[in-house]
Amino acid sequence: MNSQNPKPGMWKLFRVWATIGLQSFGGGASTTFLIQRTFIEKYDWMTMEEFTHFWSLSILAPGINLLGLTILMGRKLGGSWGIVVSLAGLLLPSAAITCILVALFKQIENIPAVQMVLRGIIPATGAIMAVVALNFALPIMRKSSKEGTFSLLKNSIVIIVCTLAIIFLKLSAAAVVLGAVILGALFFSPKAEPPIQSGEEK
Amino acid sequence: MINPFIYFLLFLKASLFSSGGLSNLPSLHQDLISDGWANDANFGQSVAIGQISPGPNGLWVISLGYLTYGYLGALLALVAITLPPFLVIPISAIYTRIEHQKRVQGAMYGVSLAVVALSIAVCWTILYQPGIDWKGLLIAVGAFGLALSRKVNFLIILAVAGIVGYLVYR
Repeated sequence: MNSQNPKPGMWKLFRVWATIGLQSFGGGASTTFLIQRTFIEKYDWMTMEEFTHFWSLSILAPGINLLGLTILMGRKLGGSWGIVVSLAGLLLPSAAITCILVALFKQIENIPAVQMVLRGIIPATGAIMAVVALNFALPIMRKSSKEGTFSLLKNSIVIIVCTLAIIFLKLSAAAVVLGAVILGALFFSPKAEPPIQSGEEK
Repeated sequence: MINPFIYFLLFLKASLFSSGGLSNLPSLHQDLISDGWANDANFGQSVAIGQISPGPNGLWVISLGYLTYGYLGALLALVAITLPPFLVIPISAIYTRIEHQKRVQGAMYGVSLAVVALSIAVCWTILYQPGIDWKGLLIAVGAFGLALSRKVNFLIILAVAGIVGYLVYR
């Protein structure tokens, strides 16, 4: 569960977050993608499982989930100061660029070329989000397929049902998370003996 | 005349009862419009800017703050959206205290499944919108391959997508 690399210094941590804050054009999809790529794949400061755990906790907190995630990651890598430098690194460049864009926006908004470029970038951010989803799903799929076909099926069904509920039933994220909490407590709680079979699955 | 304290509290309230993205928009819209501190154009513009500026989507309120109340507004908005996520610290502490209970572990596992579902839904929402035709979907497939290869710099992926968009939709 623990990653191998030693913790970064404060200045390094700030620079890493600021780099993400400066690059993550395209919104939360890009931000999450860059965080996964930087902290897990490039520096190996944490594992995907830890990241998913932090993300799950952030989902339970109000407000922007990515900021909750930043707080937990900052605390893990540098305590209270880690939180401060991580939030500052992520937010200050983004906030500054936002203010600059506000000033420029009126002038560039109606240029057709800008619209065409955006029509290319938006689908790319959708693809980036697909990679983020895949990164979240792979550890779960690997673990459950080791436990057997039934476990893999059970996990897939919950994911698919939750996805369809958001997309087609337009349920709010909070409602789906609540539903998943109940389903999880009912059907995914670890048992004393390894589950041989359980008939409660719908 | 904007009262900075009330202005801040309105942003804080909206953020406290939201879950990121644009979910704090209805509350802010209702409050700021009725006070006459913002107009509909401010909202349309800040949402549009929020989509192209870097960082989490929820940062769109920074441009709303800047448009309606200058640098002070941007700063107040920034602080107001940063405070509520700190509740993740007590939530994390509570979880650590009860995590040995089997039902809690199951519930948390359920959340991690919901996380996958939420990510897929965001992906769907981005790709399933009027501006995206089969050419856009081809761009998405290409970007997906580049991002998955782990060899291409992220900004290069976006830049290539933008250039292709310009050439295709010209």
